[in-house]
Amino acid sequence: MKKFINRPENLIEEMLEGFVKAHPDKVRRLETERVLVRKDAPVKGKVGIVTGGGSGHKPAFIGYLGRGLVDAVAVGDIFAAPPVSRVYEAIKAVHSGQGVLLCLGNYSGDVMNFGMAKELAEAEGIPVEHIIVNDDVASSPKGREENRRGVAGEVVLWKVVGALAEEGADLPKLKEVGERVVRNTRSMGVAHTPCILPTTGKPSFTIGEDEMEIGVGHHGEPGIQRTKMMSADEVTTLMMEAILEDLPFRSGDEVLVLVNGLGSTPLLEMYIAFRRIAEILTERNISIHRTYIGEFFTSLEMGGFSITLTRLDDELKRLIDAPCDGVHFVQH
Amino acid sequence: MEAIPFSRFKEAFTRILENLERHREELNDLDAPIGDSDHGESVCRAFARVKEAVDAFPEDQKDIGALFTAVGKTILFSGGAAMGPLYGTAFLDAGKVALGKSSLTFPEFVEVFAAFVEGVRRRGKAEPGDKTMYDTLYPTLLALKGAYEAGEPLEEALKKAKEAARLGMESTKGMLAKRGRSSRLGERSIGHIDPGAASSYFIIEAWFESLMGSSS
Repeated sequence: MKKFINRPENLIEEMLEGFVKAHPDKVRRLETERVLVRKDAPVKGKVGIVTGGGSGHKPAFIGYLGRGLVDAVAVGDIFAAPPVSRVYEAIKAVHSGQGVLLCLGNYSGDVMNFGMAKELAEAEGIPVEHIIVNDDVASSPKGREENRRGVAGEVVLWKVVGALAEEGADLPKLKEVGERVVRNTRSMGVAHTPCILPTTGKPSFTIGEDEMEIGVGHHGEPGIQRTKMMSADEVTTLMMEAILEDLPFRSGDEVLVLVNGLGSTPLLEMYIAFRRIAEILTERNISIHRTYIGEFFTSLEMGGFSITLTRLDDELKRLIDAPCDGVHFVQH
Repeated sequence: MEAIPFSRFKEAFTRILENLERHREELNDLDAPIGDSDHGESVCRAFARVKEAVDAFPEDQKDIGALFTAVGKTILFSGGAAMGPLYGTAFLDAGKVALGKSSLTFPEFVEVFAAFVEGVRRRGKAEPGDKTMYDTLYPTLLALKGAYEAGEPLEEALKKAKEAARLGMESTKGMLAKRGRSSRLGERSIGHIDPGAASSYFIIEAWFESLMGSSS
């Protein structure tokens, strides 16, 4: 294993120590649990936005802490859900009297730990709602959406509910709009190279030199097909067809496009993919309201990328366009 | 009928941790086809914390229920991943049934273990055949209960239950996953033993051997 780390067992703690020292103006760490919160949390009069999950997805999750985004992150070990107590402390730390919205990906570990923390907080009188992201079309067939993984679409959810909470919206409104984001968001990923897990020194999956996994999950979970490598245009076309047909996105729709690097794919290649994405959307008379390209939700150093589309209405457009000031996501 | 004393239950957690550590790599490897090959790490870390909690358990307190509650809370609060809530709930539910008892008779142990298994089912919403931990635990419970009802001695029943756990774990190899992360593998999930079913077996193996007091 070739990684610039010290001891694998100290990896998360050392990373967090560096993170908090690097961004003391934006974040602080709770003393009781491995939870990072927005510096000024709890923000008076605002619903708290709590997220979290396994580590290894930088800049997710902690890079989204900040004004107009997320208030607290419960930090798990590499690719492992944070325990109940951590989520519970995160909820308590950002509750200013308006309640808390939990945003999580659809993984059994996250669903159980966040679910139990929600019950504990509710028992203490804190109003809590949750939104489970399940945007990965490759992880389960249409009609079984409740079984799909949550991937980069969670970034869109944070952006929207973060902006809405900042405007002073109440918890039921946040739940309603957040669920609308999930209903209108679809993603798919591809990878040609696994990441190496720092805890075990092993690759997250094995794959031939000339092969790629279509529909890969962002922990390296298998997708729908293992094939020979394709060109940027071929693979982008295939991903876009799966995404567009699933919702389905229709002529006249306005969308947000998120092209997300999974760790070691250069931005150069993502722009080549975006060129094809834009062509396809033009052909189908779907207009692009806004585009995000870069690393938003990685899988350590996995080689590959994902495409996420969200169908927008006027309210979602306004919230997507709102400014935000996250550690790794700033928009003016 | 002789009852199983508190001390056996306490000692069991040392052996459970040893057994999980012995199989750490194997559990990681079983987890690899599902995605992130860390199940061995997760359970070892959680049961290392359990061992600390058990070691710190008040010497003068001999309450099996309180011991299991402490274990359940430790796993729930420090475990994380999917196994945290599952094993955590199992021990908490078992603790409720065993509360106030300093030893368990055979039928009492069957009842406590039934609560343990039911805790996993309730939290994970698993059914037999879903390719989960429950496929190890449920046959174990049936074997234990069956042996008790047939009037077999405790020692023999624990042996049979342990064997049922092993077969249960093995049976997940041919199953199509229906719950948890591996359920997204579809047909590709067939042919691999479920890592949760395997860690459950290693826990049962060490646990029941401790209760037998055998030295293997």
